Amino acid sequence: MKKLHCHIPVLRRSICLGLVTLFCLQLQAQDATSDSTKPAPVAVKKKPVKNTFESNWIQDNQSVMVPIKGTFEMDIQHRFGVVNNGYKDLFGLYAPSNIRIGLSYVVIDKLQLGMGFTKDRLQWDVNGKYAIIKQDKTGGWPVSISWFSNVVIDTRPKENFATGGDRISYFHQLLIARKITEKFSAQIAPSISHYNNIEGYKDADGKIQRKMKNDHLAIAFMGRYKLTDKTNFMINYDQPLTQHPMNNPHPNVSFGLEMVTSAHAFQVFAGNYHNIIPQSNNFFNENDIRDGQFCIGFNITRLWNF
Amino acid sequence: MVSAAGFLLISTGFIAMQQPAKPWIAPDKAAKTANPVKSDAASLKEGKELWVKHCQSCHGKSGLGDGPKAAQLKTDPGNFSQAAFQKDSDGAFFYKISEGRDDMPSFKKKLPEAEDIWNIVNYMRSFKK
Repeated sequence: MKKLHCHIPVLRRSICLGLVTLFCLQLQAQDATSDSTKPAPVAVKKKPVKNTFESNWIQDNQSVMVPIKGTFEMDIQHRFGVVNNGYKDLFGLYAPSNIRIGLSYVVIDKLQLGMGFTKDRLQWDVNGKYAIIKQDKTGGWPVSISWFSNVVIDTRPKENFATGGDRISYFHQLLIARKITEKFSAQIAPSISHYNNIEGYKDADGKIQRKMKNDHLAIAFMGRYKLTDKTNFMINYDQPLTQHPMNNPHPNVSFGLEMVTSAHAFQVFAGNYHNIIPQSNNFFNENDIRDGQFCIGFNITRLWNF
Repeated sequence: MVSAAGFLLISTGFIAMQQPAKPWIAPDKAAKTANPVKSDAASLKEGKELWVKHCQSCHGKSGLGDGPKAAQLKTDPGNFSQAAFQKDSDGAFFYKISEGRDDMPSFKKKLPEAEDIWNIVNYMRSFKK
């Protein structure tokens, strides 16, 4: 872990380079398409790029996508145990798992509101995502940008908390994505997580010290490559940026497949994150990629249009 | 042998339960609506993408009505390669996709941009034999 944090300045440079690259890449596929078309009978207007991603989720992170107004979505998310025990618990499939069931609705154009319940820490979340900018085929914005925020309440028994406010945590994430070619899309997503209450300890002088800071910065990189019209390969990397006094969380690597239909998206993948709630993942991930501590997981989304 | 016979019975029972599609005439005004989207490479490409995502599971890859979900439908999804279907106007296709009927869902909320549906209509013309 220390090694990774020693590389944070290098990572920051890489992140800047990545952002510049993402902004500068030409929209090859879309441009090629528009070049081949002659003036259409339909009035020329702004054409947002479609299907940068085809689900609200990229494994453990949000995608830039906000479904069309009136879309009601149900999410079922499941993370099994780590695969390290092998046959003993069938590679984590029979180990204690984490589950989230969520509902969301696009109340007005570009704004999705949702809520969910997660088994881990008995957490209820309410969340919102707003599509600020959409990448445009006709020479407008080169990227799509959305904002995601949530508030989570930990509903475990009161013995776990000194005050009611200690139960609350927040997560905010800027989602910047670009459909680079018809098949390949990429996203960069810096985030900040905040926990009102962080565990402490008494040092040798009897003073209370924090194990972690209350705020945690992180950045995620994601990519989607279309293998067929309905099947996508997805990869994701989450890098913690904040250096805490101790208990520094591990980065996350996840990769897997996504199958998409008119009303469903099904993602199956392996990754280091187990907590599902994004601030829990970013703050408390103990699964280390160097030890092969991967969890198999899946996301199922069902969409209805009202 | 017995299981094969049982399978045959179930299969034929299933097929027998599926009703032939009732006549479906689009309103005159809708049927006469001209297709404003030129059937070029870009339109066909977008139409194909939408077809694969939204239509193929019932109507099949080539519109033959042989998608993996077709057998579960109460009504025959039809064969779009046949002249009987292709004689419908673009406007009639647009109306039927947009409004839906029985097993056929309405797509006007899922695909709120008319251009998307016109792209599907253009792509459906490629099924003609």
